[in-house]
Amino acid sequence: MNFTCAVNRRRFLQTTSSAIVASALSGGRTSAQSSNDLRVLVYGGDYAKAAIDAYVKPFEAETGIKVIPIADEVTLTQLQLMVNSNSVSVDVIALNYPTATVSAAQGLLEEIDYSLHNKEELDGALEFAKAPYGVGQTAYAYVMVYNTETYPAEKPRPASWSEFWDVEKYPGVRTLVDGQYGSQGPWEEALLADGVAPDALYPMDIDRVFASLDKIKPHVRKWWSVGSEIQQMMHDKLAALYQAYDGRTNLLIDQGVPLEINWNQSKVTWDLWAIPKGGPKVQNAQRFVEFATRADRQAAFAKLFPSAPTNLRAYESIPEDLGRRFPTHPDNIANSIFINAKWYAEVGADGLSNTERLIQRWNDWILQ
Amino acid sequence: MTRFRKLGQMPIWLTVPAFGILLIVFGIPILRLLLTSLNAPALSVANYHAFFGQAANIRLLVQTVEISVVATAICVIIGYPTAYLIVAASKRLRMVLLVLVLIPYLTSLLARTYAWIVILGDNGLVNKLLLDIGLISSPLQLLYNRFSVYVGMVHVMLPLMILPLVSVMLGIDKSLMAAARSMGARPFAAFWRVFFPLSLPGVRSGVLLVFILCLGFYITPAALGGLGDAMLSTFIAAQVKSTFNIKLIATSAFVLLAIAGILLFMLGLDLSSRHHRAAKKERTSWQRRVPSFGTLARYLNELAAPYRAKRWTAELFQARDEIYLTKQIGAAFVVLVMSFLLFPGAIVMIMSFSAGAYLEFPPSGFSLQWYRSFFGDASWTGAAWTSIQIGIAVTILSTIVGTLAALGLSRTSPGLRSVLTMAILTPITIPLIVVGIAVFLALVNLGLIGSKSGIVLAHSIGAIGYVVVIVSATLANFDRRLEQAAKSMRAGPVPTFRRVTLPLILPGILGGAVFAFIHSFDEVVITSLVSGFSIRTLPLKMWENIRHAIDPTIAAVSSLLMLLPVLWIIAIYFMWWRARPKHVPTAATADIG
Repeated sequence: MNFTCAVNRRRFLQTTSSAIVASALSGGRTSAQSSNDLRVLVYGGDYAKAAIDAYVKPFEAETGIKVIPIADEVTLTQLQLMVNSNSVSVDVIALNYPTATVSAAQGLLEEIDYSLHNKEELDGALEFAKAPYGVGQTAYAYVMVYNTETYPAEKPRPASWSEFWDVEKYPGVRTLVDGQYGSQGPWEEALLADGVAPDALYPMDIDRVFASLDKIKPHVRKWWSVGSEIQQMMHDKLAALYQAYDGRTNLLIDQGVPLEINWNQSKVTWDLWAIPKGGPKVQNAQRFVEFATRADRQAAFAKLFPSAPTNLRAYESIPEDLGRRFPTHPDNIANSIFINAKWYAEVGADGLSNTERLIQRWNDWILQ
Repeated sequence: MTRFRKLGQMPIWLTVPAFGILLIVFGIPILRLLLTSLNAPALSVANYHAFFGQAANIRLLVQTVEISVVATAICVIIGYPTAYLIVAASKRLRMVLLVLVLIPYLTSLLARTYAWIVILGDNGLVNKLLLDIGLISSPLQLLYNRFSVYVGMVHVMLPLMILPLVSVMLGIDKSLMAAARSMGARPFAAFWRVFFPLSLPGVRSGVLLVFILCLGFYITPAALGGLGDAMLSTFIAAQVKSTFNIKLIATSAFVLLAIAGILLFMLGLDLSSRHHRAAKKERTSWQRRVPSFGTLARYLNELAAPYRAKRWTAELFQARDEIYLTKQIGAAFVVLVMSFLLFPGAIVMIMSFSAGAYLEFPPSGFSLQWYRSFFGDASWTGAAWTSIQIGIAVTILSTIVGTLAALGLSRTSPGLRSVLTMAILTPITIPLIVVGIAVFLALVNLGLIGSKSGIVLAHSIGAIGYVVVIVSATLANFDRRLEQAAKSMRAGPVPTFRRVTLPLILPGILGGAVFAFIHSFDEVVITSLVSGFSIRTLPLKMWENIRHAIDPTIAAVSSLLMLLPVLWIIAIYFMWWRARPKHVPTAATADIG
């Protein structure tokens, strides 16, 4: 009776190994490919719930096409592996603008069939939301945020990035976004702080970017890299002045955290609906993308989840107090700058893209 | 029977299942990646040249090694005495302590990292306490610097150091220490010259595991560190995310692998029995180099030996103050280490009962809503069930295959053993994302993307590594003559294994099984690549959750996960300790040197 597990060891081995072999032979291939349903990535959490209500269910009702919403997101690696190995297992995806640009350049995305789209809808969409390889899903911005305990409305506060850089006049701990990914970083802000005009940012002068960052480096307590991180820092009142996402900030303001957004010189970027190349149901995917980018759908979504539309006609049916919180609201967008992903993806004579160049400089700079 | 005998004669066959899986699921695609980094078919080192041509890369590399070395050293310094004291404790206490060591390992990495921010932040617990006492007037900067990086890393790695140490120390015959003492060795000499050399295999495998995992670590340094505390794997992850330059990624991955390889060869890699003998030889030669002092000391020592031997017999029957004091210090040390290990988990647990929508400490009110949101949501419970199924399959597969491989390796020549061990450890050496890419390529060919079998295979290649390291460490102290004795008494290879070998190496096998399960249960990077958006494991669900909102569900899940090691250990207790023969060293030799 000593060692029951040992006594059974051989039988154990046989059964488990045969089970493994059996399942390997039967090839537990994903059921996705065999079914006719459209598989759509909808991020996760409350965003996914809102996407199901605003996009998925009405689309099924209108077209009769069954949709499987998947609460997940795709990375560049996943997309590359899927497409290049001919095993595309999702039909519609969401990509942020820089990733979409790189993916398109690598030939990983289907071209959008704009003949399916209504002209009125297209006229309402912001210019950036009508890319050849993707249609705008939602917009968001990197904004300057005041901790109103340190910088209440009655006190003088930095209004622009050059004032944010002025640590004499506006003392206090700061946070900025981290530049390790190259495609995301305080690059444009550094140039604005150094006096470059908003319409003359691109092509960016990388030496000037880092010379400007040198000045602010000692005053930045933490360079954050993901949204949950800056959300938690603002929740814990880590700094006096932040650079943060508008959505995360609004979420905290609703929770009663003393914060206020400065929309001046906000940096707008966006996510696009896209279709992986060589998927099994490209036609229906095109129809879904057309449906989900209509103004009324974007408005319905914005009411369920506070995320800005890319089709300005959506503001017609969004309540004004909600609309004012969005970076694409006509009032807020007036003094915004728009990320130019084409510049980031541009490859120089040495074979490096500007994104890669920024990553190299960043790695060099942080260890100095 | 003859087949078994042949197997016994050709131990290398025992490693075949492990290498079969490894080669198919990982080896072939990783070789292809290596060729990619070498610009195949042209074959040039241009990519490596370019990598080392960048001053920043070299500095990043040096810093990665430096952080890993320091973190590993801290783990040894804290882990060795802790393991020693755990082994010296009574059987029941030992079980409790082992559970406590394991608990933090199952707390979600992200939740734990957040707990450290709560503890070390400017408005955090430590600063608040110091301010209240009046020791400081303004908050200390404990967070976002190298200090917090080490705190976070050591917290993650310490269990990985302690467990191999414990499994090796449990196998050391305590009567050897008593024998040394009875012949007049001082307590410290008995420890240093008898116990310590015997425990070296444990140190070696602990160092190996911890250092290798530190090399590929990036979530904790990125979240707790400052701007300059970057590591090479942070760099690789950024490359993967933003540009996906496969040549650059492969090149940096193989540079990391080379560093791990260098360490493996420096440590001798030979995790098996001949090892401590070699170590002893080194030490004597070192002593010879300082002859005057060494000889004199030894001479004096020998003069005093009979006296000490006599005193030792007397000590046996006297409870002395000195021993009492050592015990107190030992107990205090263990309490301190356990508090360090458990404090963040306790914080997470308290936050999970929060009434607010945020992870906050102290919580604004108490409620069970986050547990309800876990159990009431089929996507959470479904994901948990999937993870358990996959975890069990991985544990069974990799424990069997890994133990066989360790047995095989322990019987091959040292040179071959080093190379093969290195190969088995590759999947836990190189950054997970690179492993993920390789495994994805393999599973596409097998048609297993998006299947549970695929994920089981993907997890097993790493889990086998853990099992091999831990079982090898246990085998290092295993006396082969016991097997020969059994065979000389006409026991066949199977009964010999079952009744002699297995019982003696069981602690190692169980330790390996625990790690295999945890490895699978915690894995997110590889899984997200090979799940094909069709299978949801618990860590994938947790990632989705944490990306979008930091709500306390994640704390509730972590708290539930902390119950898991408790259940594990109870299971082990019933399977093993109850059935364990009585001759095992017990409280009589529980001696805190």
